[in-house]
Amino acid sequence: MSERVLAQSLSTLGRIPGVAFVLAALVGIFASMTSGFTTGPNLSNILVQSSILLLLALPMTFIIMTEGLDLSIGAVLTLSSVVLALTAIATGSLAVAFLAAIAIGLAFGLLNGWIIAWLDIPPFVATLGTLGIAQGLSLVLTDGQSVVGMPAGLHFIYSGFLFGIPFPLVIAAVAYAVMHLVLYHTRLGTYVPALGGNREALRHAGVNDRLVLAVIYGIGGLMAGIAALLLTSRMSAAHPTAAIGMEFDAIAAVAVGGTQFERGEGWLFGTLLGVITIGVLRNGLNLLEMPSSVQVICVGVLVIVALFLDGVRKVQE
Amino acid sequence: MAKRAAKTRDCKWARDETMKAANSTLAEDVRAGTQIVAPTLELRGISKTFPGVKALDNVSFPVWGGEIHMLCGENGAGKSSLMKVLCGAYVADAGEMFHNGEKIEIKSTLDARKFGIAVIFQEFSLVPYLSVAQNIYLGREFPGKLPGIIDRQKIRSEARRFLAMIGSDIDVDTPVYKLGVAQQQIVEIAKALSQNARILVMDEPTSALSDSETEHLFGMMRRLKANGVAIVYISHRMAEVFLLGDRITILRDGKMVATMLPHKTSPGDLVQKMVGRKVDAIHRRGANIKAGEVALEVAGLNAPSGIADINLTVRAGEIVGLCGLVGSGRTEVARAIFGADRITSGDIMIFGKKFTGGPDKATRSGVALIPESRKAQGLALIRSVGDNIVLAALDKLFPSRVFQPGRARQSAEVMIKKLRIATPSPRRAAQVLSGGNQQKVVIGKWLTADARLFIFDEPTRGIDVGAKAEIFALMYDLVENGAAVLMISSELSEIVNVCDRAYVMREGRIAGELPRDRLTEEDILQLGMHHE
Repeated sequence: MSERVLAQSLSTLGRIPGVAFVLAALVGIFASMTSGFTTGPNLSNILVQSSILLLLALPMTFIIMTEGLDLSIGAVLTLSSVVLALTAIATGSLAVAFLAAIAIGLAFGLLNGWIIAWLDIPPFVATLGTLGIAQGLSLVLTDGQSVVGMPAGLHFIYSGFLFGIPFPLVIAAVAYAVMHLVLYHTRLGTYVPALGGNREALRHAGVNDRLVLAVIYGIGGLMAGIAALLLTSRMSAAHPTAAIGMEFDAIAAVAVGGTQFERGEGWLFGTLLGVITIGVLRNGLNLLEMPSSVQVICVGVLVIVALFLDGVRKVQE
Repeated sequence: MAKRAAKTRDCKWARDETMKAANSTLAEDVRAGTQIVAPTLELRGISKTFPGVKALDNVSFPVWGGEIHMLCGENGAGKSSLMKVLCGAYVADAGEMFHNGEKIEIKSTLDARKFGIAVIFQEFSLVPYLSVAQNIYLGREFPGKLPGIIDRQKIRSEARRFLAMIGSDIDVDTPVYKLGVAQQQIVEIAKALSQNARILVMDEPTSALSDSETEHLFGMMRRLKANGVAIVYISHRMAEVFLLGDRITILRDGKMVATMLPHKTSPGDLVQKMVGRKVDAIHRRGANIKAGEVALEVAGLNAPSGIADINLTVRAGEIVGLCGLVGSGRTEVARAIFGADRITSGDIMIFGKKFTGGPDKATRSGVALIPESRKAQGLALIRSVGDNIVLAALDKLFPSRVFQPGRARQSAEVMIKKLRIATPSPRRAAQVLSGGNQQKVVIGKWLTADARLFIFDEPTRGIDVGAKAEIFALMYDLVENGAAVLMISSELSEIVNVCDRAYVMREGRIAGELPRDRLTEEDILQLGMHHE
């Protein structure tokens, strides 16, 4: 009898994704090793700091589920941030600057989609190309210098509160809810695993698969544009190299969250856990006064450990 | 009444049973005021040419509502091309199509669906990480109350309704990747039904089904037929062709050879028309078997894949069958012997030596596995025929570990000639060959590697009659030259005709062994069936 109970609890345990164990372990480690980790302000800080990453990781989940990849998302975020800052200075209007940032993000996303869907260039290569273009444009537009002197109102986006909740969290929560709705309750979302799992079937079902694919990359660019509001607000400036390598964290968060790189298997909640896990890891290492280079190494190790745990779980199934 | 008479005159295939069904449908059609003097679908002079190949050459035939129209022909005869023209994947170069007497054009999948044409391919068009319900309504999701949001409840309930219609209780929320091939087939059929298909085209639907599932499918087809649905059914199984067919149309080399009534023809005649020359479907092997040394001995084998206490022996010069229902553990035994799956206990002796290790060691010990899933496991599809042939023999051909294209080509050409593989060049990609020729490439790969124990898993699945005979002739050649063969097959007639003896599996265990004099379909079924 007790054996069966044990077996049952083991199988329940087996259904919990590897990322949850990793997250619990990290929280335990940092809580015991640092004094400031478990304080309310720090935990809130972790979530706020994770919000930008979440905005990138959500569409990245969609993209990876289509068996694609978006390497340009960090560079597009940087470019959107630069455009936001320059437009704000040129026009003095934050609204126009926000729209410009979002528009440039969306444009790059759709450009990715067009190159991948209609020119049939593999996503890795296509987005590597647009990464270069976006990165280069950022440097050209800024002359390699930081853009400073933002209007005062910009501060609110990252540091403000709405009903007592940090504003970045509100944006992140809304983004998560919308993306969840899209993935699980709309036609577009239904076609995401189909693009990765059996594109032929989608075509046979009379769906314009190219258009769907382009729209998904478009969403990625759009979210990068929105993330640019948070990023620029956080720094009250735009740096032409601000979000270099963000795509690494975004892809890592998706992978840690259990989304597979083939056959269209994916899980949006896993990505949320993945983002928080990376946030916890970076925050904890900050408290331990580790340099950011060490943090990158640790994120790399995290990806491998989480995927290994997932692999073990699958074998047991 | 005049219309009915006209139809009766038009299609002189009036088997009693069929006519009863057709008449009742006719009466409904008259009430509904629909045009009934014309076939539901008629092809006239359809041609389709690809560079170097005339896939379809002036094909004409009508399909009537309420009939099951068998489409037979060897692989490469043009059946797949015809299906693709019907579903809108290909556009015909020449010819016309008529739907209820009206000229139509099918240029896309949506066009085909508009005219009620649904095609069920052998390679399923299902998405692994969508649920059964989502797959059934893929591309046709019901809109919900809010704009842009789909009605998931309705998708589930409608999917459940269509599955119930064919007597299936698969949970509609199960992701498709968790389903077996047979269940996926059922989902495909439910999908076609849900599209209100009036013309259903099925490509060898029973090749992956068990007997009871097949029975279910046939029952469902008869119901659809009684409801006036026109069914075009592609099959390589003679029994099905004669059991279900109201008419039989034969294609050969892209041309329509004949349309016949089943009671006015015979399997021999059919096969002859398909291959264009006189052959027997399967030669029964002579009784002069010279069994030699023990090639394979399995003792007390248990494996986590679900097989238990497996004992079997195969000698050189023998063809030994391994049969049982789909899912009884046949493939698992083959994979365990080949080292592709882990085993927990038991001994595998290959040519007298204890075997442990993976497929690489099995290959070096002279074991060859010709897997069930030719395209996924047997071949590197996008690589050339030549590359595939030398793949398992690289160590042997190039002891210096340096690839020499000339020598590889030479080995490949020898094999292409020896096995009469129909390919213009060893450089042609394996994926463009017909099923029978692909199977020969797989066999050629192992011959090149000097394999002496061949495990065939469903060697004739999706292969036409002419090529089947060739595959078996090859098998006979192998054993005559001292190789040993273990053959898994769901087609009992193959086991009975080809094998010298057979093991029958049931629920992961060997249920019994049948020597040649007791090797009949009845005995195999008796042993293989579940008895509870």
